[in-house]
Amino acid sequence: MFLHPWAIGLGVLAIGLPVAVHWLTKARPVRMPLSTLKFVRQSLKQRQARHRLRDFLVLALRTAAVALVALAIARPRFGEQPLVSDATSGAAARVVVLDVSQSMAAMDGGVARMERARSAAQNYLRYKPGLRANLVFAGATPSAVFERLSQNFDVLRDELSKAEVQGDRLDINQAIERAAELLAPYAEGSSQRLELVVVSDFQRSNWARADFSILPERTNIQLESATAGQTPVNLGILDAQVRSFGAAGGDGELEVVVGNYSETPRPVTVEVTIADAAFQLKGTCPPGTRTTLTQVIRLPSAGWQIGEARLLGVEDALAADNTRGLATEVRRAPTYALISREARNRRPSAGYFLEKALEPLAGTRFDPADLDRTELGLADLLVIDHPGKIEDEDIGYLGGLLRRGRGMLYVASEPIDATNLQLLVDKLGGGLQMPVQFTPPSQATARSGLFLASYRAGDVPFRVFGESVKSMTEPLRFGGGLTSRRIENSLDDDLLATYSDGTACLVLTSSDAGKLAVLNADLARSNLPTSAAFVPLLDQLVQRLLEGRDMRVRATPGEPLVVRLPSAATVVEELTIKTPAGQTGEEDEVGELTTDTGGVVWRWTSPEQPGVYRVVRGDETVFALPVAADAEESSLESLAPDVLTERLSGGRASHFRAVGSADPEQDTLWTWLLVACAVCMVGEVATLIAFKS
Amino acid sequence: MTPATASPYLDLRALAPLAQLRFTTRRRIDGAYSGRHRSRQQGGAGEFVDFREYTGGEDLRRLDWKVFARTGKAFVRLHQDETNLLCTLALDGSGSMGFGGFDGQASKLEYMQYLSTALTHLITQGQDQVGVAVLGEDLGEYCPPSSAATNVAVMQEAIAKLQPQPSTVMAESLRRLFERSKNRGVLMLLSDFLMDDVEDVFAALRLYRQRGWEVVVLHLVHPDEERLPMGAAFRFEGMEDDAVIACTPADIRTEYQKHFAEHMSVVRRLALADGCDYRLASTAVPYLQVLQGFLMERAG
Repeated sequence: MFLHPWAIGLGVLAIGLPVAVHWLTKARPVRMPLSTLKFVRQSLKQRQARHRLRDFLVLALRTAAVALVALAIARPRFGEQPLVSDATSGAAARVVVLDVSQSMAAMDGGVARMERARSAAQNYLRYKPGLRANLVFAGATPSAVFERLSQNFDVLRDELSKAEVQGDRLDINQAIERAAELLAPYAEGSSQRLELVVVSDFQRSNWARADFSILPERTNIQLESATAGQTPVNLGILDAQVRSFGAAGGDGELEVVVGNYSETPRPVTVEVTIADAAFQLKGTCPPGTRTTLTQVIRLPSAGWQIGEARLLGVEDALAADNTRGLATEVRRAPTYALISREARNRRPSAGYFLEKALEPLAGTRFDPADLDRTELGLADLLVIDHPGKIEDEDIGYLGGLLRRGRGMLYVASEPIDATNLQLLVDKLGGGLQMPVQFTPPSQATARSGLFLASYRAGDVPFRVFGESVKSMTEPLRFGGGLTSRRIENSLDDDLLATYSDGTACLVLTSSDAGKLAVLNADLARSNLPTSAAFVPLLDQLVQRLLEGRDMRVRATPGEPLVVRLPSAATVVEELTIKTPAGQTGEEDEVGELTTDTGGVVWRWTSPEQPGVYRVVRGDETVFALPVAADAEESSLESLAPDVLTERLSGGRASHFRAVGSADPEQDTLWTWLLVACAVCMVGEVATLIAFKS
Repeated sequence: MTPATASPYLDLRALAPLAQLRFTTRRRIDGAYSGRHRSRQQGGAGEFVDFREYTGGEDLRRLDWKVFARTGKAFVRLHQDETNLLCTLALDGSGSMGFGGFDGQASKLEYMQYLSTALTHLITQGQDQVGVAVLGEDLGEYCPPSSAATNVAVMQEAIAKLQPQPSTVMAESLRRLFERSKNRGVLMLLSDFLMDDVEDVFAALRLYRQRGWEVVVLHLVHPDEERLPMGAAFRFEGMEDDAVIACTPADIRTEYQKHFAEHMSVVRRLALADGCDYRLASTAVPYLQVLQGFLMERAG
């Protein structure tokens, strides 16, 4: 309540001062006999009431002036008092959490939020007897200066002064958890106060899910806002990518998402550079929304293309989100690999039908017994038909290709295919969730003359027939294949069609980046290849399977990254990682490349600087990774203080204070008290003059 | 006439310039002996005034036989009798008369002593009789009018011994004096009129007026009474009681002056209303000057 409470006692004593002054300065009366005493008495009686009022006013004003001076010295602080302050004495365990996410780089009220936050945090990192503290930098992953609370405030302040804004998204719950770990040793059996100070911009997108309930119950939470009060205007590029419809030389769609976090519509111009080409996208962004700007472009030559999207003519609060790197792989025309043990020239055969249906694509037939992995790795689509028994090692390799984005069409026609599929499921582990389990049909089961009992008419591939889907599918009869049974808790959506005997006809599921389709039929024993539905059905299916080859991986600063590189990257020793500046990155700077059963994996604990990182083999880029801040960081709107202190505090005592206006506003009363004191003194003089006149 | 005792307040050398001035009155008065003042009586001696028809029983010696012879009607000659003046000096002996100002100047009492002593001398010099009455809590010292040097000396001695009395009841004293006065004459009241019962005093004076006395009111004022002293604070002590008032004169200066002026006005108004001859005498003015002006004014 008061910064110097002792001044109150002093003031009480000082209030007697006017009386003492009055007494001390009172003139000693001169004894004087007077014959006209009755006139003096009459005069006094007449003026007594007036003088009494004057004396009362003068004494009241004088006393008030002294009391006001005492109050001003006491420095009263009005309003709700902070829960954590230097005014409280005694032992305390304090953790200061400093938000270093990208939004803290925003200029707010002419000052960077980070600088305001740094100043506020410094107030809580001053030495005081019995105080132990630690400083936690909160980003995507929190990091504390010390492993436990310390009294080394010099180091804490030094680290604070060196703190910089990261491009991270704030994961506040991880930071709170880290603070709880630091406070935990002092929570039980100790009389120390537990204090958590959070200095942040309390960005709505990050703080909406904050939960302080993990903290010890008697923790006092002081929330210090680094904002200037009003939400600053910001525009940002939230996403930039190229969607390719075809191969090199074909058309692609350039797509840029712009967020307008202001209250007025804003015309925006985005300049996108890809390789040597530059494009400009223009549009108007409505307030408070995300707008997607698109433009069809001619795809350049095949290979990884790296570029940048940049907002032109924009001066807003956060400059970091006005540019964003992008990387896209322009592929050559897709190819397929048919793995079949059937003779190439055998007609009619399932392989023959498949080759004919896939004819627009270039393809290569492989003998399962002699798989050339290098060639196989270049294919975009794997078609497996009558493969016989596939070796475990080959199954593992094929599974790796599937996980890395290859499409796989498995035509299950023989009982051995059940074994192959089960082996594939086993190799991929939890990465592949099949809706059914295929098993070899029993000897007594005659799988022929099967027709489609149910199918998903609105999904790929049946939706290509539109309203005539029934007339197209009714004549179809299937033979061969495997029996199947549903796997509990599997996805219904992955089962596209079932036969009249209840077994699965067509299954389409995903495994990491790749897609797997299982057609449960022997094409040679079915009329499907000879029907008009075969080519469109297969084409739709292949298109869906090829979608997985576009590896759109993005990384966010501060968040761990594990990405499986495309199959073109095979030997780790040949690969190096280039930073956005084009330099070869060290391991602690850009992560490391390792090999596992599925191929080459890029592991990066904590991406830092935004930009496009490349994995190169010689001069060839085999993979490119854009690292950019989370789009949520562009919205600078803060959460309402009452939400923080009431809904999210988890029952802990909490207090919110705006850094920019806290101390001056809370501690300005003393100046007004001095002004009031001056007014009292002037009033006293005026009273004397008035009564004298 | 030479005084038998020399009063410290009698300065004959100072009074010498006033020796030709006489205490006179325009009214007709009763006197004990013949003198130079017009008497209420109109007899056969003195200055002829008028004729009046003779009525039976009148002294035939006053009949104007020549007129009777010429006209055949009897007329009596009227002559204005002249008599001496009986002047009683009523002196205020209240405590307030002891006020001598803030700087220890001469008090009003002292001033009055000089003035009254001079008057006794001058009146008796004019063959008139003078008496002295000291008004205190009761009628104190009273010397009936006389022109005898011995009596005058007693009077002057009584004046010289006059001391301010803590309490006075002037109205009652005047009534007592009235009762003890046998002849009508002139009553000269010397007072500061700083009593609480001013109207009662003038009520007592009205007795004199109704009986035909000429009443002269000599209002004595000390200049320091007209305004309060300059200074931060004073502890004023009453001169007729034990009252004490501590105050800052600056706070009440204006009101005090208003009250004092009102008091002066009241005394003057009451005096004039009762037909008294009112004269203000400030102690700042030398008593001889006051006396000269007073006598000259009365002499016309």
